[in-house]
Amino acid sequence: MTTKPLEPIIKIRDLTKTFGTVSALSGISLDVDPSEVVCIIGPSGSGKSTLLRCIGFLEEYTSGEVQIEGRLLGYRRTASGLVRESEKNIDAVRRNVGMVFQHFNLWPHMTVLDNVTLGPRLTKRIPTGRARGQGRHALAKVGLESFADRYPSQLSGGQQQRVGIARALAMEPHVILFDEPTSALDPQLVGEVLDTMKQLASDGITMVVVTHEMGFAAQVADRVVFMDHGQIVEKGPPVSLFNAPESPRLREFLDTWRSRNMLFQNDASVTGEGEEGGARS
Amino acid sequence: MLMWGAGMTVLVSGTAIILGMPLGLMLCFGVTSSNPWVSRFSRIYQSVWRGTPILVQLLIIYYLLPLIGLNVAPILAAIIALTLNTVAFQAEIFRGGLLAIPPGQMEAARMVGIRKWAMRYHVVVPQIFRLVIPSLVNETISILKNSSLVSVIAVTELMRVSQQIVATTYRPFEIYITAAVIYILVNFLLSLIGRTAEKRLAGGT
Ligand SMILES: Nc1ncnc2c1ncn2[C@@H]1O[C@H](COP(=O)(O)OP(=O)(O)OP(=O)(O)O)[C@@H](O)[C@H]1O
Ligand SMILES: [Mg+2]
Repeated sequence: MTTKPLEPIIKIRDLTKTFGTVSALSGISLDVDPSEVVCIIGPSGSGKSTLLRCIGFLEEYTSGEVQIEGRLLGYRRTASGLVRESEKNIDAVRRNVGMVFQHFNLWPHMTVLDNVTLGPRLTKRIPTGRARGQGRHALAKVGLESFADRYPSQLSGGQQQRVGIARALAMEPHVILFDEPTSALDPQLVGEVLDTMKQLASDGITMVVVTHEMGFAAQVADRVVFMDHGQIVEKGPPVSLFNAPESPRLREFLDTWRSRNMLFQNDASVTGEGEEGGARS
Repeated sequence: MLMWGAGMTVLVSGTAIILGMPLGLMLCFGVTSSNPWVSRFSRIYQSVWRGTPILVQLLIIYYLLPLIGLNVAPILAAIIALTLNTVAFQAEIFRGGLLAIPPGQMEAARMVGIRKWAMRYHVVVPQIFRLVIPSLVNETISILKNSSLVSVIAVTELMRVSQQIVATTYRPFEIYITAAVIYILVNFLLSLIGRTAEKRLAGGT
């Protein structure tokens, strides 16, 4: 995957976001190309979630621009500057962006299959029968076809998150945003979700993944972005970022992470995987 | 006689409760609306109807409707008054249910392109109902009891009928006790229905 694509799927320029007086993002610029996997790492409060939420327009950004496949997200250009776009047009620009949440956010009163098919049924106006077929296909992709008729509460956390992934997949998005998809899971359930995500990556699905799983980032990411205090401090291929960090803040962040993970050496440790960096079949 | 009155009581309060549900949901969405005008207007409506005695509301509606050219039967005036009243209280109950749904579920709906009203219909309302059934049963019981007030505008519901019987038989004690027992029985039945509904709806979770 080294061919230069025509146009980035996501194009972010000088993005800022403030909550009252708190500045969560201060000047982010980033492109995500088709089929690329970008992992975002950084300490708590550095603005990773806020960045992802701005890309999904769950959060209105304060200044700068987010473009999805060449179309400005959330605002309309007018003579007097940017004006808030209508919900309908926002949906139109955002329709190829999927999101997977830390806490799954499944709808508990619906079966797994209904969770997966509701979006396509309502927004693509396809007949229920076909939507169910596609829903089962999406569930098969995450290995949960036989759970279609269960309710979310009857599934393990890892399975619930895979349903969350299937729900996003069923919309056939061009890019999927993941916000710490494994952080709410018991350690023994993390692997199945990461494996599912690796599968998506090798299928060529464009992904932006906020994660604390450095092993996953090292193994799957084409590029890793390190954020701190609302800024991108360093970005590049995982090999160089993990093995030769340039900024002192990233070095410190990685050192903290390594020393914390020394304690869990036997626990499917990911230290050392950094050397394989960026390999994707 | 008493049974006929009881039937009327159930009819008047039942109609008010059932009409009040969709309207109460609307008001709940109004109160929580991001449009400041909509939410302000909704809140004013709510405080007026929650802040005045139901008897006053009933009499105002009863005497106001003819003034604006609507000559409606007392029973209709009673239903209108009780409905407008329970809407304000149900909206508050529904709002409690709405706040109990994690906002992330709404965000997930937005991220698969589901628009506001479809989201309310498919994601929000079904969950509100399973959360608020106990409070809704309480509200129904309260309306059922308050419906005794509509006897003052000559609707022959349970209370009015009891008064009439007492006036001819001079046996207030037995008659009013009987009326009370009927109220209790109806309310007991309501709680039972509520509990069954709660169990049925909880099926998934
Ligand atoms: N809704 C909000 N209101 C006010 N401040 C917020 C809000 N959301 C985020 N912030 C602030 O913005 C900053 C960035 O938060 P964000 O959640 O994006 O960080 P993060 O990198 O995702 O952290 P974590 O690793 O803990 O998830 C923090 O200072 C946070 O307190
Ligand atoms: Mg976060």
